[in-house]
Amino acid sequence: MSEPVLKLKDVGLTLQGNAGPVDILRDISLLVPKGETLGLVGPSGSGKSSLLMLMGGLERATCGQISAFGQDLTALNEDGLARFRRGRVGVVFQSFHLIPTMTALENVAVPLELQGLPDAFDRARDELHAVGLSARGDHYPAQLSGGEQQRVALARAAAPRPALLLADEPTGNLDSHNGAAIMDLLFALRDRHGSTLVMVTHAPELAARCDRIVRLADGQIAGEGAA
Amino acid sequence: MTLSLAWALARRELRGGLKGFGVFLACLALGVAAIAAVGMVRSAIERGLTDQGAVLLGGDAQIEFTYRFANDEERAWMADKAQAMSELVDFRSMAVVGEDRVLAQVKAVDGAYPLYGTVQLDSRITLAEALAPGDLPGGVMEKVLADQLGLAVGERFKLGLQEFRLNAVLEREPDGTSGGFALAPRVIVLREGLARSGLLVAGTLFDSAYRLRLPENADLAALQAEAEAKFRDQGLRWTDKRRAAPGAERFVDRIGAFLVLVGLAGLAVGGVGVASAVRAYLEGKVGTIATLRTLGAESGLIFRLYLLQIAVLTALALTLGLALGAALPVALGPWIETQLPFPAEVGFYPRPVVEALFYGVTSAFLFALWPLAKAAEVRAAALYRGGIGAGWPKGWYLVAIAALAALLIGGAVWLSGMAELALSVAGGVAGALLALALAAMGLMALARRLGRSRFVRGRVAWRLALAAIGGPRAETMQVVLALGLGLSVLAAVGQIDANLRAAIARDLPTRAPSFFFVDIQPDQIDGFRQMLTDNPSVSRMESAPQLRGLITRINGRDAREAANNHWVVMGDRGVTYSADLPQGAKLTAGEWWPEDYTGPPQISFSAEEAEEIGLKLGDRITVNILGREIEAKVTSFRVVDFSNAGMGFVMAMDPAAVQGAPHSYIATVYADEAAEAGILRQLTKAYPNITAIGMKAAIGRVTETLTAIAQAVTIAALVTLITGFVVLIGAAAAGERQRRYEAAVLKVIGASRARILASFALRAALTGAAAGLVAIVTGAVSGWAVMRFVMESDYTFEPGSALMIVVGGVLATLISGLVFMLRPLGLRPAQVLRSQE
Repeated sequence: MSEPVLKLKDVGLTLQGNAGPVDILRDISLLVPKGETLGLVGPSGSGKSSLLMLMGGLERATCGQISAFGQDLTALNEDGLARFRRGRVGVVFQSFHLIPTMTALENVAVPLELQGLPDAFDRARDELHAVGLSARGDHYPAQLSGGEQQRVALARAAAPRPALLLADEPTGNLDSHNGAAIMDLLFALRDRHGSTLVMVTHAPELAARCDRIVRLADGQIAGEGAA
Repeated sequence: MTLSLAWALARRELRGGLKGFGVFLACLALGVAAIAAVGMVRSAIERGLTDQGAVLLGGDAQIEFTYRFANDEERAWMADKAQAMSELVDFRSMAVVGEDRVLAQVKAVDGAYPLYGTVQLDSRITLAEALAPGDLPGGVMEKVLADQLGLAVGERFKLGLQEFRLNAVLEREPDGTSGGFALAPRVIVLREGLARSGLLVAGTLFDSAYRLRLPENADLAALQAEAEAKFRDQGLRWTDKRRAAPGAERFVDRIGAFLVLVGLAGLAVGGVGVASAVRAYLEGKVGTIATLRTLGAESGLIFRLYLLQIAVLTALALTLGLALGAALPVALGPWIETQLPFPAEVGFYPRPVVEALFYGVTSAFLFALWPLAKAAEVRAAALYRGGIGAGWPKGWYLVAIAALAALLIGGAVWLSGMAELALSVAGGVAGALLALALAAMGLMALARRLGRSRFVRGRVAWRLALAAIGGPRAETMQVVLALGLGLSVLAAVGQIDANLRAAIARDLPTRAPSFFFVDIQPDQIDGFRQMLTDNPSVSRMESAPQLRGLITRINGRDAREAANNHWVVMGDRGVTYSADLPQGAKLTAGEWWPEDYTGPPQISFSAEEAEEIGLKLGDRITVNILGREIEAKVTSFRVVDFSNAGMGFVMAMDPAAVQGAPHSYIATVYADEAAEAGILRQLTKAYPNITAIGMKAAIGRVTETLTAIAQAVTIAALVTLITGFVVLIGAAAAGERQRRYEAAVLKVIGASRARILASFALRAALTGAAAGLVAIVTGAVSGWAVMRFVMESDYTFEPGSALMIVVGGVLATLISGLVFMLRPLGLRPAQVLRSQE
């Protein structure tokens, strides 16, 4: 087994709710080796999305240790985490989270611009082409269908050729036809860039395409195994 | 790199248009426009006063004497320096037609008058023709005076013993502004015409003025220095066209600065709107910000990205505001010029624009910085939960906010030139904002508490209203701050105005005399006194001899220097003499001279003014009385009350000191109102040369001026309130979506539209009332501070204007809310709830 991309040890996440602290995740220890496709499954509220956020440094763990690419994420502040993600981590959300004031092309170019790449727009065009949306580059998110928006989000996540791809129920808001197309694209992108992929999903057929499955229940790992 | 990236991202965001920025633009534009417009009018007047200096003054330079004409030496000096000279005399007297007697300000001129400008008459004849003697000497007077006397052109009137014929009505005298505040309307006659009038005898109160036309290259400063070195100790006063109307200039300057400060309060109200608009905009951008964070954007980039957008919007708002502020005075130019008692050259002036620009930029960023700083702290996790957090921004943002506040206040202090007032306004605004923020928090806490109490059980409208006031994302803070600050300014203006009016209209007349009589000759005083003593309607009469003198030296030093330009040494002051301590006078230190004292001159000085100047018993004061220098030793201080319009002399001397100096008497007469007209007729008939100043008319003139000032300030305060209203509308508009949802849910569970409307109205009324109540408190505190420390007068809470403020507050929130309440009520629940899914 190669050197793990992600290492989580005794990780916990507690959030302050109106009625007091709520434990979202407890005692999570996990290794994700390079190139693996890991599926996170479990019922609603089991902590799948939160775990994914911790892996991408979108949320900070309350306890335990998380390291990615050998870097201790718990030691980084918000800006440090942003720098860590830049060019290395791509995230795809269930709700797409495209920037509504930017065109499809601009949305894809943003992470490349943040990296300071001079050919950001050329590369963004290539990525849009790769997801079959060359003709829609000048359209704003509101002018695109759900499936198209998710393809733009995929292109944006893949544009920096990230070593780690995180996907949070990427087909959750799509019909089965569009969902299948998106999944094909996601796996194609993973293959193209040799990325490690961690994916939250409810769909058994998607989970079946992963190398390994981790099952969560009540904020804890309830089991894991090959898909 | 990051700045150019921030700019690229900002441009993309701004492509979406200005939706949501209406309030931001309106608040900033209105505030800046008000400040620029006030500045433009001020500059127009200042330019008018400067350019028209010679015309306003009536000459390139003017030399004045009080109580006397120039002597031969002085005339020779003036004749030597000037190309042309005009001599005139200014004094008050009674214009008489039959039984009617009206106080008039007489200007007796020579043939050379006016050296500059033209006197405008209502007929085609010139001033020279109007004044030329026919069967009688000619005269012109203002219409108001002719009307009071029932006099038509061609008819006769008297000044003293001399009859004149009114040959034209005076419309405008070119040198009408420089004389300062006049208590009476103007009459112009030739000086020769007064020879047999019995006026202008020794002891009469008059000013003589010599207007000089000087060579074009004359060095005014050098000439002033020469004249003052030669003649100032003889009571000469110099004015020249460099500052032709210093009184008017000072007045305009002060009022202008004051209005700008009121405008700044408006900008502070706008600032609340700016902060709210920026916050609301950024709250709508949380998703974008969090996405950018997910993609690797640092907080600095986020801050710059939105700072640049705010900068662009600020530039747009300032352009709009400055264009409006500069265009409005120009568009209204002809009207403004006719409304002002000063010459104004309405046009474009860069200084007020720069000033308004400064205020606009600093206040926009001051108020936008907090929400911007909080937005920069938005985490990537906000895509899932949270948004713009509460609490304080990071340290350096706070430092930047404090620096901007200091820059704004420092700028206001420097630009207004009225440090104390600017600091007071800044303190007042900060205090009011703090009080309002606390009140809003209190109201929210109270609403939450009441919302859970028994009181609201079964009262759905109340429960909903209280929940909306105290609940999360409530508009309460924003509404209370903006409306409350606008109302506070209006309440303060209302309290000050009402108190000043009350002080004049209620307090003064009960203590003030009915008349002041001046120019009573020494041989008339006994008869004058007797006549009043015999009249049962007269309750009290005081009289005193009066001379006028100029303090030239204190302990041998130049008086202006020694007294640090205190008002007492800046011009002629009344001087009286008395063997005994006058009745009612109270010594605070020293002793009054013996009744038959004939030693070296002694002087008793007003205690308050003496303290301000720093005089001590034993100090030597040199007073120039009619060209004669008298050095007197200060032997006592006494209380002089100037506030009751009674007789008050800063200086009293022993009789021997001023023996032989020509003088007249002044008298104050307290009588029943009904008998006033009769007393005036009786006295002025017996003594045609004496002048009566009716206190009611004088108070009327003061009140007129006060009304004009109050109107100007109220207009400026209204701009503040309009800005507050814009913020209010913005808040109501922003809350419409929320109300739509609430209304839909309530309808689903069976609430009628009337009940829902009642709940919305109740919410608006409660918030408006809270803002109004706090405004009353802050307005009253400001009013008290201004009356106590600036006006040095008593303060009484005026409930009338205060009540208007609360009612206004409730109405403002109701009206602004109502517009945005009706639409949600009309929507079908399914329509709304589906769109929420």
